[in-house]
Amino acid sequence: MRALSVCASCVVLVAVVCGCGDLSREELGRGVESLSAIAAQGELIANGVARDATKSTYTRTMSKTLGGEAEHEAEKLADAEPEGGVAPERHAAVLVAEEIAELYSQLQVFPGDERHGAVVQKHMEEAKEQADAIAERLSGKR
Amino acid sequence: MKAILKIALGIIAGLGGFLDIGDIVFNTQAGALFRYDLLWAVALGTLGIAVYAEMCGRVAAVTQRPVFDVIRMRLGFGPGLVALIASTLVNVLTVAAELGGLAIVLTLLFDAAFSLFVVLAAAGIVIAAALLPFGGIERLFGYGGLMMVVFVAVIFHQDPDWSAVGNGFIPSFSGSTLYFYFVVGVFAAALMPYEVHFYSSGAIEERWTTKNLKENRLNAIVGYALGGILACALVVVSGYLFHPLGVEPGDLGTTALPAQGAFGETGLLLALGGILFCVGGAAIDSSFAASYNLAQFLGWEWGRYRGPEKAPRFTASWLLFLFLAMVIVLTGINPVEITEYSVVFAVVALPMTYLPILMIAGDHSFMGEHVNGRISSLLGWLYFALIVVLAIVAVPLLLATNGGGG
Repeated sequence: MRALSVCASCVVLVAVVCGCGDLSREELGRGVESLSAIAAQGELIANGVARDATKSTYTRTMSKTLGGEAEHEAEKLADAEPEGGVAPERHAAVLVAEEIAELYSQLQVFPGDERHGAVVQKHMEEAKEQADAIAERLSGKR
Repeated sequence: MKAILKIALGIIAGLGGFLDIGDIVFNTQAGALFRYDLLWAVALGTLGIAVYAEMCGRVAAVTQRPVFDVIRMRLGFGPGLVALIASTLVNVLTVAAELGGLAIVLTLLFDAAFSLFVVLAAAGIVIAAALLPFGGIERLFGYGGLMMVVFVAVIFHQDPDWSAVGNGFIPSFSGSTLYFYFVVGVFAAALMPYEVHFYSSGAIEERWTTKNLKENRLNAIVGYALGGILACALVVVSGYLFHPLGVEPGDLGTTALPAQGAFGETGLLLALGGILFCVGGAAIDSSFAASYNLAQFLGWEWGRYRGPEKAPRFTASWLLFLFLAMVIVLTGINPVEITEYSVVFAVVALPMTYLPILMIAGDHSFMGEHVNGRISSLLGWLYFALIVVLAIVAVPLLLATNGGGG
């Protein structure tokens, strides 16, 4: 019985240690790319709101889903221990993720407001550009 | 004139009813990730389902035997039972994916909780199946699914680089594991086994005889070919809009974005309506396919035309499969993920479904003068060889790409 509990503890310890590995440049890059994609979708959704060319329920539900994804990405990046040299990029990525989540929550609150839609569209575009810039720095293109 | 009209209506119903959640998810993601590069795989899958659906319809009309009857007869009880278990698992997963898809679209159209819509979607399917005759179900969902034609109109609105679109129909191999995963996904989504299970059982429900063979051929070839155009349209509009932005559509709602961009709210509503009817029709087809298979394999009385009184075990099993699917979706697993798994696991079950059909369709003692011709036989065996290869590589590709996540 004692041996069994020692084994179980070891398994849990290994799992915990493995799960808390450093956030590598590649992993961070993938996270930032997915943020860019979420912002791009936000830009398209907000464009529909700005043109009064969409349905409020659609905007609200999509914003809830995608905003949740951005928030999840922010939490995931903030929780991870960054590998040496990528800490500033990790910090910038968390800020962009929070910005995107905030923009989606604005769309959720004002799904039929054209003026708000135009502002959110512009900010989503900027957030996407920021995410793309981080991704380029991480890949060494910039 | 009446016969021509009937055939035309059948083709139109086939066109609208071709797409299901697997086609919608895989084709949209394929376009977003690889632009137009996978159009050839869509075309290949569409030709494959047309070849086998025509064979199944012909076998059913000539021998009055649906697919699972043929499977048990040709494979015997043991291997037949393995095929039944595999097909049932895949079919229940497919029903779950379709039900989840229905609920997602309903949450995009109306403001209420996802779980409520899962239950309402299941109830709606039971009501539709109880109230409508077999042909009525096909027509309702087939014609409703025609709203997906909006994606063809979106292509012309986007006016893509047509030579790049054309080049997409020439097979190319990028060498990445993810690319091959999507080749398998796009191909398998077109050849889901429930489609032929339902098609052949439907032929018997509608009391087809050899007089219906022309109708069968036109439905299978023209209907599926036109359905394939809708599938290609999803790849093209997604490739045009999402690929340059790096968007990876992980939600059914994203699929409708190109239609909103092109035609505003009307486009959005047509796209969501089209998805709703396609996925709803597929939910009915796949749930019936699961109970058709079980009843045919075990020799129970089966068929919608018999009614619950004359086919009680068939009706009970259909309700049970629908209930199981509803429970799977209510556990909270993402329906898009269920779709990806159901499509990939379906590939593994495909050879067990298609081999017996191919064998009996080529057997002169059963089919008489309606036996497979040279072209049907050649295409059938070529596709079977392809299906076997894909069945071997499907699960390793699923694991290597982390379920398409790269």
